[in-house]
Amino acid sequence: MPNASYEHKWGMVVDLDKCTGCQGCVIACQAENNIPINTKDYFLQRRAYEWIRIERYWEGEYPNVKARFMPVLCQHCENAPCEPVCPVYATYHNEEGLNVQVYNRCVGTRYCINNCPYQVRMFNYWHPNWPARLENQLNPDVTVRSRGITEKCTFCVQRIRRGELKVESQGGQRLNDDTIAAGNYDPACVQACPTNALMFGDLSEDRQPSPSAIKPYFDDVNAHPGHGEHDRETRGYRLLEEMNTRPSVIYLKKVDPYPLKGGH
Amino acid sequence: MKLTRRNFLAWAGIAATGAIACDVFDDELKVQSPALIPEDLVSGRDTWYATYDASVPGGQGLLVRVMEGRAKKVRGNPRFPTNQGKQSPAADAILQSLYHPDRIAGPMLRTGPRGSGQYRPITWEEALNRFNAAVNERGQGMALITGTRCAGYATICKAFADAFGGSHLRYDAMDDAAYRAAVNKVTGVGRVPYHDIANAEALVSFGSDFLSTWGNPTAYGVAYGKFRSKGHRGRHYHFGARYSMTAANADKWVPIAPGSEGYAAMALAWGVAESHPESPWVQAVTGEEGPGALRDFMPDLTASILQIPDAVLDGESPNEFFKHLAHDYAAHGGLVIGGGGEAGAYSNGPFNASASLLLNYVLGNVGHEGGMLPDPGSPIASAPDNAAITTLTDWQRIAGDIASGATGLVVIHNADPVYGLPNGVGLGNALENESVAVISASPFMDETTVMADLLIPDRTALEDWGDDAPEPAPGHRVYGVQQPVVNPLADLDPRSFPDVLLSSAADLGRGDTMPAASYEELIRANVDELGADFTDALKNGGWWDDRMVGAASTPSSGLLDEIAGMAAPPQMEGTGNFQLLPFAHNTILDGRNAHLPWAQNAPDPLTTVAWQTWVEINEKQGREELGLREGDVVEISTSAGSIQALVYLNPGAPPNIAAVPMGGGRRAGSEYATGRDERESGNVMSILAVSANDSGGLTWSGNRCTITPTGDSMAVSKMEGGYTSREIGEHPAEQVFKTVSEGGH
Repeated sequence: MPNASYEHKWGMVVDLDKCTGCQGCVIACQAENNIPINTKDYFLQRRAYEWIRIERYWEGEYPNVKARFMPVLCQHCENAPCEPVCPVYATYHNEEGLNVQVYNRCVGTRYCINNCPYQVRMFNYWHPNWPARLENQLNPDVTVRSRGITEKCTFCVQRIRRGELKVESQGGQRLNDDTIAAGNYDPACVQACPTNALMFGDLSEDRQPSPSAIKPYFDDVNAHPGHGEHDRETRGYRLLEEMNTRPSVIYLKKVDPYPLKGGH
Repeated sequence: MKLTRRNFLAWAGIAATGAIACDVFDDELKVQSPALIPEDLVSGRDTWYATYDASVPGGQGLLVRVMEGRAKKVRGNPRFPTNQGKQSPAADAILQSLYHPDRIAGPMLRTGPRGSGQYRPITWEEALNRFNAAVNERGQGMALITGTRCAGYATICKAFADAFGGSHLRYDAMDDAAYRAAVNKVTGVGRVPYHDIANAEALVSFGSDFLSTWGNPTAYGVAYGKFRSKGHRGRHYHFGARYSMTAANADKWVPIAPGSEGYAAMALAWGVAESHPESPWVQAVTGEEGPGALRDFMPDLTASILQIPDAVLDGESPNEFFKHLAHDYAAHGGLVIGGGGEAGAYSNGPFNASASLLLNYVLGNVGHEGGMLPDPGSPIASAPDNAAITTLTDWQRIAGDIASGATGLVVIHNADPVYGLPNGVGLGNALENESVAVISASPFMDETTVMADLLIPDRTALEDWGDDAPEPAPGHRVYGVQQPVVNPLADLDPRSFPDVLLSSAADLGRGDTMPAASYEELIRANVDELGADFTDALKNGGWWDDRMVGAASTPSSGLLDEIAGMAAPPQMEGTGNFQLLPFAHNTILDGRNAHLPWAQNAPDPLTTVAWQTWVEINEKQGREELGLREGDVVEISTSAGSIQALVYLNPGAPPNIAAVPMGGGRRAGSEYATGRDERESGNVMSILAVSANDSGGLTWSGNRCTITPTGDSMAVSKMEGGYTSREIGEHPAEQVFKTVSEGGH
């Protein structure tokens, strides 16, 4: 249960200028969240499970070419298109800003998958399968999802809960950037990312003694929505902003001092 | 007998069936109550242990989450000075090594023909008797082949080989012999330098893929993030023949001809000298002759070697292009990194590496913050260091000795040279000599281990003691300590290989020549020698100095002349329209992680391909000139052989370059690495010509090849395109991935 003493609204910032595409976040997420091994067949069927994936875009061609790397995960939208279409309330928005998936309610209609513009929801087409011995690694804090249901990034809610329990309930302190990092309560992808391209924090307005380092990006983007993008003081933007899904993930534009001629 | 938890359970099982009960009772009296063995307690709490992982380039400090005797997760150790709390993409896969279904369960003896993979289990007593007998009878001339781990591990292996008249050989598939030789020449230190990217104002790199597999990519990744975070965002130029992960992340990639990295570095040195002749650093390198000392490397003169495309020069002459670049970099104290990896693996690799290192001296960027930091020396000064890595020339000699029987015993640990060396070296064929005894301590089957008569499987990293002197060290000395954080599972019976060596030496009366009675004891002694507390070393995952110690920041006189004298265009092996550029896979590396499913299922950053071997071919050339489509099966033929691979049409690949990842084509080992169709899984290292440069290193970048379509095709297993039918993929890329031309928050 969330701690009643403190309000939270969790969010993430992805700095595209720092992501090198190394896949560190992808594997850390797989290890933390009991995501099955993506076999060759899973890739061939376009059914590989990656709660966070690195999208790679090509721009230009040799010799003036750029490969772009962009981590994409559940955007934990405030206006989440996946939520209203679930007939059994398996996905809903909780009081901490997380878009939550209740595995035991899910009946596998896949309406949510269809309605998510970011394509970050995965359907379990198979029974989860770990060869003997490898199952010893499974994280006891995370459910192993069964066949026929939908799953997705949770912002590593199990780590958030652990932090709330240890720091707030037992320690009497509020979780902030420092205590999150010190206690390893960051989502696994954020913790692993070598370049710190992923940053996680609390965006709540109330009783925040030291605002998260990521909050100014949200404030800036919220203050200059839509066509006001050019007035922003930061590099922040939201993915597919025109859909007004209001993601809890802000991207920082890649700095490209040598843009391709004719490129954007 | 000393009872561990594991054999306690085995005895308990015998008791339950009522067999040999009196023996059980006798031994059971010595057993500690399992309730007091902490790792087995069900406490509902997790415990984190600090340890060190030597399996990734540069090594890394890790914290391991252990719950009820099982390792659950690893993360970078925030205290460890290289990776600073972050981890390699292959780090988590260390858990899969621990719990892998294909581990060799215990000691085994070959029952079928050599190479058949047919074995029967034996006891450790029998295994050690056989091991001791082999060493006793055939130790003279023994080849003890291991990986590149330094410090106490290398000390034990070398002492063991020396004690019996054998030799200790250290195998590294990503042979950096040319770079190491150049480092020795230029900095006077045998270990490779660290590059302080985090504090650099600007960065230029030559060939080496330091953001993926070269040096310490995790440490350099951490530093790269800081480099990009500063108020004045530093710029990064990359010179290289392959569109690598590092090239893709650079602000500007300058494609150059394969093997011309040294000429590019010297061209930049010329530009710096021309634009800043008054610089004391320039004067220190060029001497009385001044900038004229570099006139032979004037880019207009070497343009035909560099082959920079006109579209990149953008209307400038090569001289103007390098002068502009030199002005920017000299003005901003640019840091130079590279010259190793693929740049060093040509016939002129020593020149490429030396020139890249020299450029830091020209820029005055050695031995201080934001510059190149020469290595302060190994923390364990008495241990063999990586300068002693075995080169191709030596491997050829050793293969000959094994084939002739001059070497009567081969002991292998943590190395798979039969897979990684070119077929032409003949090591695999040599090991077919039945008169030579072959013993492997690998926990997994592989191409070399399958030739063994006796298997004495080692513990994996999370079950065993270990140490290392990571390289590159961040300007100060670092000693990594690995501790056992879990016990092996009950159905496994591995034994620490260094401890096997130490006990064997003692059994054979050579214990006095060994550095300690156990590996743990040696690590304790090493920590003690460093003046540190052992418990603190375990808590921290090692020991490190807080003083930056480096070599002199001025070059030796005559260095420029010496390096200029080495300059020569690369000589390629074989013929063909394409240059074959093998590269280490981002997570599988040189093939050492091919058995780990997480390493296999991590998409390649650029192509997003997983599980298969592909060849990257320029998209336009492939489509328009060669009529190729993605997934076409092509034959890649060099002067030494051929493999097949699936075509990936890469918009970033230069024409006439065929880039192929290492790590495919396993024919022995785990089911995750083997059993795939030859069309989609090939070992690119096997078809390289047996050719070394002056450093003795394999010229693995220096092969020409032909690309021949077979008329066949297969689906490419990749992440890319998985979402094209849906919303995010329907948007133009620029609406999803946005850029700005200037830095800022």
